[in-house]
Amino acid sequence: MSIVTVQLGQCGNQIGFEVFDTLFSDSHSSQGLCSKRENEAYRASCKERFFNEEENGVPIARAVLVDMEPKVINQTLSKAAQSGRWKYGQHAYFCQKQGSGNNWAYGYSVHGPRHEESIMNLIQKEVEKCDSLSGFFIIMSMAGGTGSGIGAFVTQNLQDQYAHSLKMNQIIWPYGTGEVIVQNYNSILTLSHLYRSSDALLVHENDAVHKICAKLMNIKQISFSDINQVLAHQLGSVFQPVYCAEGSFHYRRNPLGDLMENLVPHPEFKMLGVRNIPQMSENSLAYSTFTWAGLLKHLRQMLISHAKMEEGIDWQVRPPLSGLPPLGKMPLNKELHFNTSIANLVILRGKDVQSADLEGFKDPALYTSWLHPIHALNVWKTQRAFSKYEKSASLVSNSQFLVKPLDMIVGKAWNMFASKAYLHQYTKFGIEEEDFLDSFTLLEQVVASYYNL
Amino acid sequence: MGRRRRLVDPAAEAGAGALPKVIAALSRSLPAGPSPEIFRRAKFDRPEAPALWQLLFRLLSPRSADGASASLALEAQVCLVKSALRSQGYPRLVLAQLPEDGSRGSRELLLALSWLLARGPLPEQLLAQAHVQLGDEIPVCECEALASPGPRVPHVEAEGPVDIRCVQWLMGRLRFRWRCLIASQQEQCTLLSKIHLYTRGCHSDQRLGHLSVAETEMLRDPEGGQQGCGGGVGQSLDLAYPKSLHSGQVPEASGMMCGWCACGWVSAHPPGSLLEMQPSLCTSCALGCFAFQLLRRLERENTGLEAALEWRRGELVFWRWMDTVLGACPPEAPAAATQPTFLPRIAERGLGRLELAARELRALQEELCEATGRRRAAWEARVGGQGRGPQWSSARQALQKAVEQELAALRWAWEQDRGPARPHGPHRLVRCEDEAPGGQHLRAAEVIQALRSQEACLEAALRRLQGQCRQELARLAGALPGLIWILPPRC
Repeated sequence: MSIVTVQLGQCGNQIGFEVFDTLFSDSHSSQGLCSKRENEAYRASCKERFFNEEENGVPIARAVLVDMEPKVINQTLSKAAQSGRWKYGQHAYFCQKQGSGNNWAYGYSVHGPRHEESIMNLIQKEVEKCDSLSGFFIIMSMAGGTGSGIGAFVTQNLQDQYAHSLKMNQIIWPYGTGEVIVQNYNSILTLSHLYRSSDALLVHENDAVHKICAKLMNIKQISFSDINQVLAHQLGSVFQPVYCAEGSFHYRRNPLGDLMENLVPHPEFKMLGVRNIPQMSENSLAYSTFTWAGLLKHLRQMLISHAKMEEGIDWQVRPPLSGLPPLGKMPLNKELHFNTSIANLVILRGKDVQSADLEGFKDPALYTSWLHPIHALNVWKTQRAFSKYEKSASLVSNSQFLVKPLDMIVGKAWNMFASKAYLHQYTKFGIEEEDFLDSFTLLEQVVASYYNL
Repeated sequence: MGRRRRLVDPAAEAGAGALPKVIAALSRSLPAGPSPEIFRRAKFDRPEAPALWQLLFRLLSPRSADGASASLALEAQVCLVKSALRSQGYPRLVLAQLPEDGSRGSRELLLALSWLLARGPLPEQLLAQAHVQLGDEIPVCECEALASPGPRVPHVEAEGPVDIRCVQWLMGRLRFRWRCLIASQQEQCTLLSKIHLYTRGCHSDQRLGHLSVAETEMLRDPEGGQQGCGGGVGQSLDLAYPKSLHSGQVPEASGMMCGWCACGWVSAHPPGSLLEMQPSLCTSCALGCFAFQLLRRLERENTGLEAALEWRRGELVFWRWMDTVLGACPPEAPAAATQPTFLPRIAERGLGRLELAARELRALQEELCEATGRRRAAWEARVGGQGRGPQWSSARQALQKAVEQELAALRWAWEQDRGPARPHGPHRLVRCEDEAPGGQHLRAAEVIQALRSQEACLEAALRRLQGQCRQELARLAGALPGLIWILPPRC
């Protein structure tokens, strides 16, 4: 089944390009460590999901690009076409002649409705090219102005028009010390709107990815391209084909559906975080070997200690003794040391994957009391290696990963709101104080639900 | 001698020869039926269990299983059989305690099989499922689905209070499955449409005009082919394959010899033509191959049906024999008492301190129990025992009855709207160009319209009920001033 990607704004378009590039390179890589037939099945499955067949052979990404400025879209289109290996559809983009100031409310209330028909038509065309639609994957930033506002509007429209299709939003959490002064307002508005119309919110934090580039990849001058490549690697490791079950030889047909059914069926708990190990520069890769036991041990500790990467993990954090409430279950202002999970999905790719032992993840102490590990833990294993990594383990987790950052953003936004700072930018274009209050209420509810696991 | 013979029960005498025949008939009418010898040995609990586990697995696993499930390990099959029987309400506990490796328990399995046979017309149901369907069948009404009550849902009382978040989680999973099902159905429709379009002009029967999925599949793969694949479209269908069915131009001779009749008339089938699926056969042999395959399938189905008839005729003998099997079982052990807890060995020194700690904890626990008991009593008094107790169960029953009555009323209204002599049951899906007159044909547009009006009725009913709920909630919220109710996000 196919996934239609909607790339929104500068952020969404740049990341989207890297994602398709990673998926394509990986599916055509010769270092899959598997038989030729399996490799072909892998490639075919990846192609069905993300690319469209063309007569002259160059696959076309199943994507719609949207931005209010032409610059980034043109860059993205040409970069893809230049590679000669895959490209975007000739008319699969929408942009205007000039952007219009970083304003969330303008994006949501003006741009959105004005260009609704054109954008939805483009998406409809892409959907019609699919034999079967698994769902939508929408890439956008959370704190940007116009892009985030339009993103919220488009997701709402998708909810109305394609009520039965699945929708996953990939959102980029801004830097803590961001440049845009109203980024917290934008963030809470985006999050609250998406929470109502999307099925799952897959979050990547800029700070975390930046650290990965600096510490693990040893990049001196970190550019957006580097960050996006790391991001694309993490997403690729989640979305590339996996087998249906132990010992099966068919790839899963509905990856989005399977993922969502296992991780986000509860309407209050929709926030997902991704962790992927190992992650390192290509030069180091050639000299490193890993064992599944080592990788899984690190991954487990990353999960329970809120670590974002495999360096600097706090090994002191341990699951609470059974019968006692976890130490972190304190009122909101206390520190959350131990990360309680609701549900986890572990995806293993590579050599000897059948021998990987996941007992550590089945410990009930890792999970909340109302969901047993049998239902809360899902494991997908595939022999075929991913992107030159002989062994690669990813974790998609619905847990308390994001509750502290969310709480901080809500707190900061509330402080600004209480003093009515910068509100006129929003009320000018139809976002009233009522809407802000609704957003705060919803997000406080989400924070409380996650804290009370 | 003669006198003794006369005293023997004539039924038993008839049974002596009839039993193996009846069991053989039963075995032939079931898929993967084991030999009668296995049945006989199972009465004495001989180690023939794996074959019987596999039989039960085939009977209890969902229809679409087939290839994928045959490769499941025996342990997995054992697990599935146990849980399926439990969910259907199988009473004997001994079966649940049989070892996971599937090596023992053939007598218990025999009893389980007979329990399933006693509950319903199992061989007939299985044969109906495996029926050779040539056309793409779809149901046009819901009568069948609504009439049969479906699998009996076991009424399980929750042991303690259930966290509502768990219930919400499960509801959410159900909703996602539903949406995935809709996506799969849409995919199936797209494929059906493509196949019907591309095989136009290929069918010998002019009224139909194009091939169905089953016919196409048989043509494509005469060796394999699935059992009654009328419903199983999506499974082995390769998405690229409709492209290869597009009927092409006049074929040219290729000079190859036909692999079957050795004639030299094998054409270079144009790329994308129907017959390209059989490149080494000439046209007549390819079509003959298809007919032969169909004949084989029908013969297999016939054998099954005859076996089922024979089984029905001699059933009584089998049940008498099963009574003896039941008699041969040891009396069932009482429900396992709670296992004696394993106390870890405590070092001598720590024993004193441990005792003290244990006493303190017990005292604390009693205090807590008292406090919570008081609180709970007060709460129950206020809430009036909602959700539990006899008042609640009678209220629930009344609700169920009301819902059933409303559904029945709706259904009756729909029946009236449909008009007289409306067709029921599954119909073959055929794509035609012209506006052929009605007759026994049913137009898709009419069926769609009828379904849409039914949907509208149900949606109106849902909205009305939701409105009532909202009013009730508002009333409750208003009754407690000073309290702010935050409703969860709309899902």
